[in-house]
Amino acid sequence: MFSKALFKQSMKAHWVKWVTVTVATCVMLAIVIIVLGSLSINDIRDSLKNIFVQADQESELKEQSIDGYELYLTTVDMYKMLDTESGQLVLGVINNITNEYAGRLAELQGQGDVTDEQVQALRSEIAQKYTESFATMLPDISSDYINMFLMSILTHYDEASSSGSVDTTQLLQNAYLDLVYNMAYETYLAKEDATEDMALQSAQGAKDTAQTAISKYQELGADADYSALALDYMNDYIYNSVYDMQIDAGLTEDEALQYAVITKVISNTAITTYQFWLSEDPDITKEQARLNSTQSISDQMPEKVAEALTELGNMDMYGLIIGSIFYRIAGLLLPMVFVIMTANSLLAGQVDSGSMAYVLSTPTKRRTVAVTQMVYLLASLFAMFALLTIVSVIAVFISGGNNFAINYGEILLFNLGAFLTMFAIAGFCYMCSSIFNRTKYSLGIGGGITIFSLVCTILGLFGSSVVPSAMRIEPMNFFNYLSVITLFDTTEILNGSLDFLWKFGILAVIGIVTFIIGVFRFDKKDLPL
Amino acid sequence: MNEIIKVEHLTKDYGEGHGIFDLNFSIKKGEVFGYVGTNGSGKTTTIRHLMGFLQPTSGTCSIMGFECWKDAPKTKQFVSYVPGEIAFPDLRTGTEFLKAQAELLGLKDMERANYLCQKLQLDTSANLKRMSKGMKQKTAIVAAFMADKEILLLDEPTTGLDPLMRETFLELIMEEKERGKTIFMSSHMFNELEDTCDRVALIHNGKIIDIANLGDIDNMPTKTYKIEFENKDDYAKFRRLKYEILQVQPEYNQVVVKIDNEQINKLLASLAHYKMKYIAEIKYSLEEHFKEALKKDKEKGNV
Repeated sequence: MFSKALFKQSMKAHWVKWVTVTVATCVMLAIVIIVLGSLSINDIRDSLKNIFVQADQESELKEQSIDGYELYLTTVDMYKMLDTESGQLVLGVINNITNEYAGRLAELQGQGDVTDEQVQALRSEIAQKYTESFATMLPDISSDYINMFLMSILTHYDEASSSGSVDTTQLLQNAYLDLVYNMAYETYLAKEDATEDMALQSAQGAKDTAQTAISKYQELGADADYSALALDYMNDYIYNSVYDMQIDAGLTEDEALQYAVITKVISNTAITTYQFWLSEDPDITKEQARLNSTQSISDQMPEKVAEALTELGNMDMYGLIIGSIFYRIAGLLLPMVFVIMTANSLLAGQVDSGSMAYVLSTPTKRRTVAVTQMVYLLASLFAMFALLTIVSVIAVFISGGNNFAINYGEILLFNLGAFLTMFAIAGFCYMCSSIFNRTKYSLGIGGGITIFSLVCTILGLFGSSVVPSAMRIEPMNFFNYLSVITLFDTTEILNGSLDFLWKFGILAVIGIVTFIIGVFRFDKKDLPL
Repeated sequence: MNEIIKVEHLTKDYGEGHGIFDLNFSIKKGEVFGYVGTNGSGKTTTIRHLMGFLQPTSGTCSIMGFECWKDAPKTKQFVSYVPGEIAFPDLRTGTEFLKAQAELLGLKDMERANYLCQKLQLDTSANLKRMSKGMKQKTAIVAAFMADKEILLLDEPTTGLDPLMRETFLELIMEEKERGKTIFMSSHMFNELEDTCDRVALIHNGKIIDIANLGDIDNMPTKTYKIEFENKDDYAKFRRLKYEILQVQPEYNQVVVKIDNEQINKLLASLAHYKMKYIAEIKYSLEEHFKEALKKDKEKGNV
């Protein structure tokens, strides 16, 4: 079944080719891995990521500025309203509520000691009773907040009455500040990655803003330009708080100043833009104006571009270059050339030229010839990939071992996959070499389909998911269905999904079946020798 | 085991009249069997069957009792082969090739190979790719003859050899014959077969037209002679004698006569009376024999 003499002959005929291809491929791989390991190509990706993070932060800062500005103006508006008739009406209603509460409380106290729970229950009952009528008056505010507002009026009433002087306006103001605080707190907590500390800070900021607005109103009256005042206030507020925050974070005064100025500019821009939108377009809602003024870079870009850039930021350059480009395309090319040429000259080439006659004029069986040549093809391919594996493992070791973007396990699977792909291709080329008596058919079909596969993989790369959508041409993914190399899926190996295993299985089966067909066919056919 | 090679009803139909059809012949031990035919007549196809490279459409051929297709590896124990088209494996020099071939044959002793190289004046250290056609042919001959097997299958072995080397090669064939080898040799040159073969088969359009025994041809019971006379008188007188005259050329005073071998003395006695310019025997060659055979075959076909 095996002829040592023939094996030696095949080795002599092909060793130069083998050495050239193996050395070239190994050097290529070593360079790719070591160069990628020393350059940090992911820097680009990281900086891209930073841009988006900064953009998001900026957008948030703008939102905060506008919210603060709005809060300031709303507070002033509310005080203006209190001075009008309807404002007096509201005060009257609140007065009624507190009176009812006081009466009910006195009633309870007349019956004996009153516990905190009883007081709390009474407050809820009264707050509940009036919530609905307030809710119809103030449709913009949720009934939860109105309820909260009424509760806090009653709490402050208790505090005020214990100290002796009850002023309804003051009650209203205190409850309002509580409400602002709570709303800010809850709004902040609802955001992504919000922390308790930050929420508290934000709530305090809102309360401070409202407080400032009230005192300004009380100082200047209804006719002052509150838009300008609110803008100034927010600028100063942002400036100061950022400065303090940076100093706390350990930055020097100069650096903190720099940050503070930049944020102030951003905040100023946001608020003036907001004012601009409101004044320019009388139909615009506040929501829309706010949205227009707070967009970050990624919001302003067309959705597809933003998506593409985000994807680019998330792209795994190492996986793409080492897996999809080297192991599936560049690194396969030379072994393919070796396999196509060698498989052809092991059988078809010798039948075509007639030199096979010499082997077959000795008592060597055809089966022995076919098996020996198959063993040679497999052994040379195996030796090639064994060397390639050793080189790749050393290169990964040099590039930082398991700290490298591609670890030992993944690189071993890449080598195994590439070997199995070549095994299937070698089987196919060998089968063609066995079936055809003419080199032109054996090379044309065996080599042609193999190179076609490679070219399809190159074209298919532009449609595959490893290429960021900006560069991806979806229909080109079609080419991947035409290539056997698609069964070697480096992306799945990197993702840690185990789907690549059954594809490896198919590659192995293709190889085994084609080799078996090749061996048996050579036994049965006519040879023009 | 007298019949070393046996071919029975061997047919390989490639369609459109191509192929070989119903070949029957057998070759005895120690015989040199010539196989002659024009290009494309089916010589190589026959040999490929004997080598087990082609599977017959029908019929069989066997060597030493082993079927050539099914038991090909077994027949190779007895057979050496010189292919018609010489192409060597991808090796560097002739020496390397002969060594590789010896290894495949399990041949340890290279003495015979060296002797053959010497005889054919072959320098085996030459690069295989740069060898001339003749050198390649010689290398192929050495590769086949060095195994010293009982049967030699030679497909046009003298192509590419210069006339001197052809002589040497034919000597080698005679030498092998004396050593008891059975030789099957194809050629499209009658004269070299005439000199070496015991029997020659003529194949034409895939069919064997005739198998000639060279001994019979050499010892034909009749012979033809061409005689030219000095003058017209003698020529006219001779024509009146009762000899079987095949051809005359009055302008040259020439006659061609055919007589039984026993009558040669009588002829010479008759000729003694006339003045002759010369007398020459017209040899009955293999070529003529086959031409006649082909003609007969054609006539048969026409009928």
